[in-house]
Amino acid sequence: MKKYLGLWSILTISFVIFFCVSAFGDVDVDFTLRSSGMMSSLMPDSPESESLGDNDDAGDAASPSENEGSAQGEAEAPEADPGEAPLPEEAPVEIPSPASPDGKVILFIGDSMLEGLSPRLAAYAKENGHSLYSVIWYSSTSEIWGETTKVREFINKYRPDFLFICLGANELFVRDIENRRDKYVKNMISQIGSTPYLWIGPPNWKPDTGINRLIAKNTKEGCYFKSDGMHFDRAKDGAHPTRSSAVIWMDSIVRWMPAHSPYSLKLDKPSVNTAKANRVEVIQPGHWRDVVKKRQEKAKNDKKP
Amino acid sequence: MNEILHNILNMLSYDPSAPMLFTSGLFWALFIIFVPVYALLKRRRWQMMLFVILFSLYFYYKSSGVFFLLLVATSAVDYLISKQIAHTESKLTKRALLIVSVVISTGVLAYFKYANFLLSTWTDIIGGNFQPLDIILPIGISFYTFRSISYVVDVYRGKISPAENWIEYLFFLSFFPALLAGPIVRADVLLPQIRENRQADRHEIYIGLWLIIIGVVKKAVFADYIAQYNNLIFDNPTGYSGFESLMGAIGYTMQIYCDFSGYSDMAIGISSIMGFQLPANFNLPYKSKNLTEFWHRWHISLSTWLRDYIYIPLGGNRKGKFRTYLNNFLTMLIGGLWHGASWKFVFWGAMHGGGLIVHKMCRPWLKEIPDTWPVKAISWLLTMTVVTLLWVFFRADSFADAAAIVVNIFTTFDLAYAAPFFEVRYVWCIMMVLMILTHALPTQWIEQMGEGFVGLPWLFKLVIFVLTVQLVLQFMSADVAPFIYNQF
Repeated sequence: MKKYLGLWSILTISFVIFFCVSAFGDVDVDFTLRSSGMMSSLMPDSPESESLGDNDDAGDAASPSENEGSAQGEAEAPEADPGEAPLPEEAPVEIPSPASPDGKVILFIGDSMLEGLSPRLAAYAKENGHSLYSVIWYSSTSEIWGETTKVREFINKYRPDFLFICLGANELFVRDIENRRDKYVKNMISQIGSTPYLWIGPPNWKPDTGINRLIAKNTKEGCYFKSDGMHFDRAKDGAHPTRSSAVIWMDSIVRWMPAHSPYSLKLDKPSVNTAKANRVEVIQPGHWRDVVKKRQEKAKNDKKP
Repeated sequence: MNEILHNILNMLSYDPSAPMLFTSGLFWALFIIFVPVYALLKRRRWQMMLFVILFSLYFYYKSSGVFFLLLVATSAVDYLISKQIAHTESKLTKRALLIVSVVISTGVLAYFKYANFLLSTWTDIIGGNFQPLDIILPIGISFYTFRSISYVVDVYRGKISPAENWIEYLFFLSFFPALLAGPIVRADVLLPQIRENRQADRHEIYIGLWLIIIGVVKKAVFADYIAQYNNLIFDNPTGYSGFESLMGAIGYTMQIYCDFSGYSDMAIGISSIMGFQLPANFNLPYKSKNLTEFWHRWHISLSTWLRDYIYIPLGGNRKGKFRTYLNNFLTMLIGGLWHGASWKFVFWGAMHGGGLIVHKMCRPWLKEIPDTWPVKAISWLLTMTVVTLLWVFFRADSFADAAAIVVNIFTTFDLAYAAPFFEVRYVWCIMMVLMILTHALPTQWIEQMGEGFVGLPWLFKLVIFVLTVQLVLQFMSADVAPFIYNQF
């Protein structure tokens, strides 16, 4: 027994140390000192956050109905049928031209995941003489885009030869998603019309409740890139791929396209890692409520004699 | 308070998605309880055996649920048959009993592991729709089945006397350090030690702790970190350049070594703490300069098992050159199939078998070449190229994926990807370099490090252990990665 005392005390003392320290969680010094999480695994569960966290680039204000159908979320969810939403027929604000005669205009729309993907796609665009215009709608979802006519508006504005969409990360955990989001995804696809496109699926950090399946179901063959199942180095929020991981992500998409996409787009490997898009438009999270409200008011006014 | 109790009970009950790994906090906590009880009971052989059996069965229950009963049943059947074999004079009866035992053992293994594979292959041949059977594969079944077969065969051959009683045999078969992923410990190694019931000395206890530390670092730091990049490549075989694919293949080569040898180190270390000496399962395999040497250094307990229970019974090298080559090939084919029910494993085994034949055929000619360092370097490079490329088939989800990666490596290789790769993946690169350097170290130095650890004051050992655990936490991925060899 005595012979084991030394070993046993090493095992026990270190266990107690890690157990007690785990009460404080991860500690940020110059770097993050990770805790074992032993204590939290024993303590009563705390409700898990459903959005991407309070990062300014993520789910700080995910759509109210994101949170698994909370009463508030249901109450605030827009009621209009997106299928009937009239598309604006306004002329484009500007008609951008590609950077070279053979170049194309590329539009990239979606959620905060564009922060990592867009600079890499910009490097590809620059290398191949294309122009890239990016629209980042923070915390956006298929519901938000599908409820509004923003997809068509941006297509009219930039007249892209190719459209990239990266959307779905803010709705990984939505319950009954097939019923709740199907019409919005369909509406987005109808807004895209005949524009060649590729929908980049969300980089799951946990299994989703069906958003990937929903996108795959509604998109044309070869127009959906499944990011789920790929491995990402994550930023501190645990959700967004790091910049370097996003570069590899975009590279994977570009390599996947020739064999799968029905459309061709020249995207030779760039000599630089990242570049700036020709223009980046940013829409803040709450913007969609204003858009929907205005449209509902307009619809009401139109009904008045 | 109730919820805490509920969480503890949840943690202790069977969860198929969370088998109890040596690297888990739960195992650590239970081992803290196990050690003093074991130390107290060690002198009382029967009580010690019963306690270890209960702990082992619980350990297996945590990984495979009610299938721990299958383990108990296997031990009972093979114990009874081995007793009959030992007591029977008639050679014919002995042979018949051996066949019954082998058929039962391989039948159970075949049902759980190969039924769906065989049925799907059959459906492919005759054409039709295949509906997979709902079969759960008990973890570690391949390992304990091979151990049980070798025990019965050894009793039949008169190499060992049968276990004194069923408890002794159940202790041998369920011995938890080697239960889930080997080493495939033979009865002639473990049974005499069980009977001797020798106390572990201080040196064995701390060498055991040292091996656990080394194993944990190999598995939870190196293998799991390296795996993150490798998974990118294998999940999207056509999505990367030739250079990146090559790095993924080399990465997996190192990952599987760190993963499996790390597990073996931990198993041997825990056994050493308990006073049982298990033979080494790996001996720096990537130092090998030919495939024959590789199989003398890689998963030694499996390769010697295959040699003793497949290759030699097939005739070994006693029936001429052609039969030697054929026996080699068939043995490796079975070895490949043992790893998994898939054609990719059959291909992997067949290619290794083919490689061994080529090496044996060339041996007389190779002996004529002077053993200079350039020759050694070329031999090593050739061996590692074959081993690495074959690991791609071992790891990839399908034969097509593996082929895509290999084609990618040879057709789209461009060194221009090297600089950005090293820039983005520098930690991965550092880890790979460290592991390669470890292989370059003289074996004596590695042994001396272990001896140095044993000689350290207690406080230093504690500090090293705490630092190791923190290192593991720093590198730990969000999802705990299971040991690769658990699935076999």
